[in-house]
Amino acid sequence: MSLAPAIRMNGLAFFILPSALLFALFFFLPIGLMAVMSLLTGNPVVAPNVAFTTRHYARIADDPYYFEVIWTTIRIGLWTTLAALAIGYPLAHWMARIKSRAGHALLLMAVLAPMLTGIVVRTFAWMALLSDKGVINQTLQSLGLVSQPLKLMYNETGIVIGLVHIYVPFMVLTLTGVIGRIDERLEQAAENLGASPLRTFLEVTLPLSLPGILAGSLLVFALAISAYVTPILLGGFQIMTLPILIYQQISANFNIGFAAALGMVLLLVSFVLVVAYNHVLGRVSGQRDLQ
Amino acid sequence: MSASIEIAGVSKIYDGGVRAVDAVAMDIRQGEFFSLLGPSGCGKTTTLRMIAGFEAPSAGAIRVDGTDITHLPAHKRDMGMVFQNYALFPHRSVQENVAFGLRMRRIDKATIAAKVKAALAMVELTGMEDRRPGQLSGGQQQRVALARAIVIEPRVLLCDEPLGALDKKLRQQMQFELKQLQKALGLTLVFVTHDQEEALAMSDRIAVMNGGRVEQIGTPVEIYDRPTTRFVADFIGDTNIFRGERAATTSGSGLAVGNGLVLTLPASVSAEATGVLSVALRPEKIRLTAAGQSPSACAHGQVESTNFLGGAVLYRIALTSGHRILAQQPNAGTSSLFAPGNLVALDWDPSDLVVLRD
Ligand SMILES: Nc1ncnc2c1ncn2[C@@H]1O[C@H](COP(=O)(O)OP(=O)(O)O)[C@@H](O)[C@H]1O
Ligand SMILES: [Mg+2]
Repeated sequence: MSLAPAIRMNGLAFFILPSALLFALFFFLPIGLMAVMSLLTGNPVVAPNVAFTTRHYARIADDPYYFEVIWTTIRIGLWTTLAALAIGYPLAHWMARIKSRAGHALLLMAVLAPMLTGIVVRTFAWMALLSDKGVINQTLQSLGLVSQPLKLMYNETGIVIGLVHIYVPFMVLTLTGVIGRIDERLEQAAENLGASPLRTFLEVTLPLSLPGILAGSLLVFALAISAYVTPILLGGFQIMTLPILIYQQISANFNIGFAAALGMVLLLVSFVLVVAYNHVLGRVSGQRDLQ
Repeated sequence: MSASIEIAGVSKIYDGGVRAVDAVAMDIRQGEFFSLLGPSGCGKTTTLRMIAGFEAPSAGAIRVDGTDITHLPAHKRDMGMVFQNYALFPHRSVQENVAFGLRMRRIDKATIAAKVKAALAMVELTGMEDRRPGQLSGGQQQRVALARAIVIEPRVLLCDEPLGALDKKLRQQMQFELKQLQKALGLTLVFVTHDQEEALAMSDRIAVMNGGRVEQIGTPVEIYDRPTTRFVADFIGDTNIFRGERAATTSGSGLAVGNGLVLTLPASVSAEATGVLSVALRPEKIRLTAAGQSPSACAHGQVESTNFLGGAVLYRIALTSGHRILAQQPNAGTSSLFAPGNLVALDWDPSDLVVLRD
């Protein structure tokens, strides 16, 4: 009697096994190795006398410079997330509610098209727009709106602009799914009860799209704090972020242990965020879990 | 308090050219239980949504107490609505759902609390204040939706198949309660349903709709006993429909419906007119007797099958003219019942024949 489910379980396990192995191999193993490396004095593959140490972490904790780098990285991540949300939400709302199929297809294409171009290409395009002699400054100056070129590049503003462009599609796609699942009749019910369109948005649409806002923000933030190419090119090595620092430690200083410790810090930042996210989401949607 | 609604020549053509509502005109009186009845897709919901302001009419005007509201935004219409799926706010408690409309009206907290309490008591949901809609049964959700709509003391209450999702027993109970509530509050209620029994049982008046048009507006008795169109006669209850050519008979004007069967038309039908007519005859207006006992009967036939309904029996009878008709008799005891194969005589009052427009 109870044999059939057992067999089915085994069959299921059989199918899950390869992906589970792959997951272990390419996810847990590298992170585990990184965690071990961050606690070693050197690379055990090439160096003879390797011992356990916490000096990499001590170095990060002792030097305010590293705090500055971590904070810059988080700051860029936060601004990118906020800007992507501000741009992405209206777009996603439009896309989720547009009636015509052709309109929806066009919007989807407009959102996805940038993703078809490589990040490097897009970043260079932004450089052509944002630099002192770029399109934007030239236009503003010829119109007489500014006398000096605006500093749009080789600072955090430039990096955030470039990152927002890259990550807005992730925000839009995440949000569209969630907003699209909100029953329009809930909004109509609110209006019927006397809520203006703005009130309806604040009381019904926004709270019900919170899971999407959180998920999209988490995704964009995690991607933004680990971005490398855009911060390098649009920051012009003036702005130091964690991924740039990690790369430098590996390629220029060959200090793999320290790079691993920095990597663990980056991971920790993301991890704290995921936990906080789950906590917040649990609190806002726990109310709905019995539906 | 409650208002009258005038729907004047309203049409709705959706993008893509679907004419969902076609030149609909109706006057809904103050304090009236008014039903929109018709098959799925006939435009009931669209009509209701235009009254609520969720859809703009392509033509025509909607007036409430004489004031044109055709282009007034939904949130300024002061109408309550109970949606088919209830549309309760899933992220809000029962209490917050019911208080929503009052909050939008900037009423002070103490008054809101008192009104919400009274409304929940009225729908017998006291004690459920802090539950979420997801933690309620279908019937309870239905009551919350009702409380949320009536607590704002709307000028008009609109209901789109509000009882459709409930099982039969609960639906009958809610029908009764809704009707009681509507009477007690003197509400003008526009009620959408595709269930004719529900419409007949609850309404003061019914508008029967078909293909975006109004076929007939009338009281349940008028709609049932005096349908004006073939569609209405067919849609409401069981009915026998005959179609034939006008013919003169000894007792006045008649209708030759084929194979020698001539029906005597009611006296109210003018004798001169000729041409093709349809008439309807309800099964329960037919009296059955054993063949031979009533030589002057309207028609004769043989029982093909019987359908025992408890309080009544529905017979399917093949007439000697070849027509098949339904006749319903009250169950007056075993001895009065007919069995398949029995020969019977059928009698009816000519005034029970209803002339239909096609
Ligand atoms: N938003 C819409 N866009 C296009 N056609 C619609 C829309 N809503 C309803 N219709 C069409 O209009 C007709 C009437 O629909 P509806 O008013 O919902 O009927 P009912 O409520 O009587 O079932 C149907 O043919 C339906 O397919
Ligand atoms: Mg409908």
